[in-house]
Amino acid sequence: MNVLQNFKYLILGIILFSLAKAEAHNPVNPCNRHEPFQVLCDLCGCSTSSGSFGFGTLSNANFVGVRYIYQNFESKNGIFENSPISKETFNTIQLWAQIPINDSFYVTTSLPYQDLTRDFNNVKENLNGLGDASVIGWYKHVFYKKKDESVVDFNPNKEPSGHSLQFGLGVKLPTGQFEQRLADNINPGFQVGTGSIDGVFSLGYNYGSDKFGVNTLLSYYLKGENKNDYQFGDQFSYAVNFFTAIPRQKMNIMPFVGLSGDVYDSITQYDETLRDTDGNIVNFSFGSELAIEKFIFGASYTLPVSQSLFGDNVQSKQRLSVYINFAL
Amino acid sequence: MKFLKYTFALLACAIITACSSDDDNNQAEDLTGQTGVITLKYDNGVGDQDFIFGTSYNKSNSESFKLDNLKYMISNVRFTDSNGNIFEYPTEDNVFIINELDGNNAGEIFVTLEGVDAADYVSVTFGVGIDQDRFALGAAGQGTFLDYATDQGMMWSWASGYKFIRLDGTFSTSTVSNQPLNIHMGSVGTALDNYKEVTLSFPNTVLVRADKSPEVHIKADIAKVFDGATSVNFADGYDQVHTDVNETPIIASNIATMFEVHHVHND
Repeated sequence: MNVLQNFKYLILGIILFSLAKAEAHNPVNPCNRHEPFQVLCDLCGCSTSSGSFGFGTLSNANFVGVRYIYQNFESKNGIFENSPISKETFNTIQLWAQIPINDSFYVTTSLPYQDLTRDFNNVKENLNGLGDASVIGWYKHVFYKKKDESVVDFNPNKEPSGHSLQFGLGVKLPTGQFEQRLADNINPGFQVGTGSIDGVFSLGYNYGSDKFGVNTLLSYYLKGENKNDYQFGDQFSYAVNFFTAIPRQKMNIMPFVGLSGDVYDSITQYDETLRDTDGNIVNFSFGSELAIEKFIFGASYTLPVSQSLFGDNVQSKQRLSVYINFAL
Repeated sequence: MKFLKYTFALLACAIITACSSDDDNNQAEDLTGQTGVITLKYDNGVGDQDFIFGTSYNKSNSESFKLDNLKYMISNVRFTDSNGNIFEYPTEDNVFIINELDGNNAGEIFVTLEGVDAADYVSVTFGVGIDQDRFALGAAGQGTFLDYATDQGMMWSWASGYKFIRLDGTFSTSTVSNQPLNIHMGSVGTALDNYKEVTLSFPNTVLVRADKSPEVHIKADIAKVFDGATSVNFADGYDQVHTDVNETPIIASNIATMFEVHHVHND
């Protein structure tokens, strides 16, 4: 088992190390270079969560960076309406990157460290450790402007129309530890990892002009079964973000707003469905990025608009995310 | 292009793993001689509210009640597995008092049953109170339970026998308020037989193994004592229920409707 674990880390290491060596791409029109980098957030730690953890960076296709995510939840500890509430605070620090392979292919990867705390009747329980790493390979199809055939064009370069499609295929690895004893809690997301290998299928559509852009992303997470015969429910995530670019002398300010959501299937164990383990949530987010030379500083705040998670026993309260990325 | 290869190699692994069937479930496990532990977690509530001492709860007929004592007896616990086989816990130890005061910080009272045969259980059956066979064993045949029940205030006398349920507190109606409420229901020796059994099916299979200790979370709706199969009113004399031949069977039938398995945890 250890050999396997080490092998996983080795691959991740290779990918992350290669980042440093990857050639920097020339920054072009920032709005045409955004990519829907979506972090793999399933129920675990990075949690009840939403695919709406947002795209990585609005302005740069390729980057390596660090992100911090703060989340609050409230869970009912008991089976009654007035059962006492426990408060959960999830802190996540994540190394994340988007690495170019060639003009059409790129890879996104993330490696989170989770620090989760539950406060119940003033008794605190803490859980921390490496979370689940993920790697997704993407193919990007860029649409070009049609040329007017009556005009002789001496410029051989095609002009991008601003529209593009992305297809992603990836995997989430069980680098975080799943603990069965925690699964008996009302909030099954109080775990640093799912303990399973999950498949990820994504389809994205982006549009970007000089002043305005839209990123959309649909993802399906096919959850695997872990060694405890425990299987988180499959997850469908969607996200739409609108952003604009405000150029300043030495920086580019890009505010954005978005809607996102997740739909969770029920958890199964020993091939039986567990009651009150499905759910859905719709979130509203806003934030901004600040691009100064090769650095991108980002912050976003997310609030649930409507939710029904785990038989309404778990409530997502808010989410704050800040990141610093270095454009490659 | 190396990245691409790694990525697709990983993807292939993931998809193959995710899609491969789990064959080890198809082989029959040999469970002979294996035993495990089941914990029954009794959780008292009133409707969808957690039961709390001193809280006033409304019932039918615009009446309300407030309790400072809540206990009942459980006995003859047995489990039925997916093949219809029944495991019954050893008779001499198979009697328990569920006392709200023994609840943990979530108000759950644990009954831990050790040495349960390993099997895939689909339901639990238990009695509320003491059956006539157990009572017929005589005072000496009750083992340590007789003293325990006496200490717990769950005995009248040997002749009158055990109190199967004990609710003490106050009640209010539209005309009176905070009057004493005492429900002490039993079989009254052998004069009546108010012992009732309930069978509750599990929402998920309960897997007992040497290395698995499942928990069964049983919700008991105290409101059903008064508004169960039959609705009874304090104003009609159900504020003091002791040995009455008419009242006690109605309370006994009501109590038999108050249990439900809310969920199970397989460890």
